[in-house]
Amino acid sequence: MLLINNLSFSRNDNIIFQNLNLSLSDRSITQIRGKNGSGKTTLLQVILNFLECKTGEIFWEGKNIKKNIFSFYNQTTFIMDHNTCTRKMTILDNINFWSGLSSSKLTKNEILLLLETFNIQKYQNTKTMYLSAGEIKKLELLRLVLEQKKLWILDEPYNHLDDLSIQILNQTFIDHINKDGIVLFTSHLNPSISNLEVVEL
Amino acid sequence: MFLIKKIFLFFKRELNLFYNNIADLFSNILFFFLSIFIFVFALGAEEQLLRSIGLGIIWSLLLLSSTLSLRKFYEDDFNNGVIKIIHMSGISYELFVFLKILSHFFFVQIPFLISIPIACIFFNLPINEVYNLMITFIIGSLILSCLGSISASMNLLNKTNFSIGSIIVLLFSIPVIIFSVGINNSEDSFRSLINLLIGITLIFLGVSPWSSAAFIKLALRNK
Repeated sequence: MLLINNLSFSRNDNIIFQNLNLSLSDRSITQIRGKNGSGKTTLLQVILNFLECKTGEIFWEGKNIKKNIFSFYNQTTFIMDHNTCTRKMTILDNINFWSGLSSSKLTKNEILLLLETFNIQKYQNTKTMYLSAGEIKKLELLRLVLEQKKLWILDEPYNHLDDLSIQILNQTFIDHINKDGIVLFTSHLNPSISNLEVVEL
Repeated sequence: MFLIKKIFLFFKRELNLFYNNIADLFSNILFFFLSIFIFVFALGAEEQLLRSIGLGIIWSLLLLSSTLSLRKFYEDDFNNGVIKIIHMSGISYELFVFLKILSHFFFVQIPFLISIPIACIFFNLPINEVYNLMITFIIGSLILSCLGSISASMNLLNKTNFSIGSIIVLLFSIPVIIFSVGINNSEDSFRSLINLLIGITLIFLGVSPWSSAAFIKLALRNK
C-alpha cells in the first residue's frame, strides 16, 4: 500500500502541485490524468525519490520511503516515458541484463513466449537501434512481467502502441491487480479499464 | 550473492558496449599516433633530442588522447535512464561510479598499453624507460579514469561547452605527470615515487565515487 501525504513540489518558485494526497491500496489501478505540462511525470519522479519534494511524506507498507528507499525500490518497477534500452545492444542482451538486475525467475522459454505475444520474436538478435518506436516501447513494457514486482509505476505507457498491444497491456494490468498488485500510471487518454481510479492534476 | 551477480552483469554489459564502440578506441589510438608523428616531423630527426624529450611528449599526448573519450563516460547511461534502472535494482550511485571507473580503466585505458611500446620506438627510448613508462601508465591511468569520472559527472547537464571538463582533468593530472616523468630522471628514488603515485591513486579512488555520485544526484534532480 502506497500512501502519499500532503505532497508539494515547486521548481524555481513555480508551484507544480500542492497539498496532494493519494492512497493506493492493494488491488487498485490509478491513472493520473492531466494536460501536457501539468506535472504528471514530475509527480512520478517525486514518488520515486528522484526529485526532492518540498513538503510531504510518502509511505510504502507503513514505512517512510526516504529511510527505506531500497526496500521500496525492491518492490517497484518503473517504466519511463523514454527508451531505457541500450541502443547498441540486441533485444536478448537487453532482456538478459534487466532480468539479471532484478534477479528474475523467468526461464528462457517463457521470455521467448513473451516476445512472441508482442510479435517481436523475429528481431531477438537485432540491435534495438533498428527497431521502430512502438516495438521499443513493447520491449520496455516486457520489464513489467520480467521483474515480477508488486508496484508498477508507468509513465505514458500507451505512447506509440497499436490497438492490439493496448488491449494486451490493459489485460496485463487487470491480471496484475487480481494478483494483489498495484498499478499507477499517467496518461492523457481515457483507457477502458474497469475499476479505474482517476486523479486529475 | 545477488550483488556479485549484478556486478558481473554490469561488466558483461560494458564489455558488450566496448565491442560495439571499438571504433572510438581505434580513433583515440590513431589520434595519439598522429600527434606523435606531428611532433617528430616538427622537431626534426635529431636522435639525441628526441630521446631526451620523448618521455614527456608521450605522457602529455596520452593525457590529451584519454580526455577525448571522456564525454561519453556517463552521458549515454544518463540520457536514456539506465542509471535510474541500475539504482533501482539496489546498486547505490557510489558503487555505480566505482564500477564505471573500473570499466573505463579496463576497456579504455588498458588497450592503450599496446600502443605505448610502439610509440617508444619512434623516440628511440631505452628499454628500461619503456618499462618505467608502462608501470607508471598503469597506475596513472587509474588516476585519469577517476578524474574523468569527476569531470564527466560535473558536465552531465552542460550540453554546449565540454572543454571545461578537460580543464579539470588537465589541472589535476599535473602531479601525475611530475611524478611519473620524474621516475626516469632519478634512478635511486624509484620506490618512493611509485609509492607517491599509488598514494595519489588511492586518494582519488576514495574521493571520486562520492563526489561523482553527488554530481549525478544533482544532475538527476535538475534534469
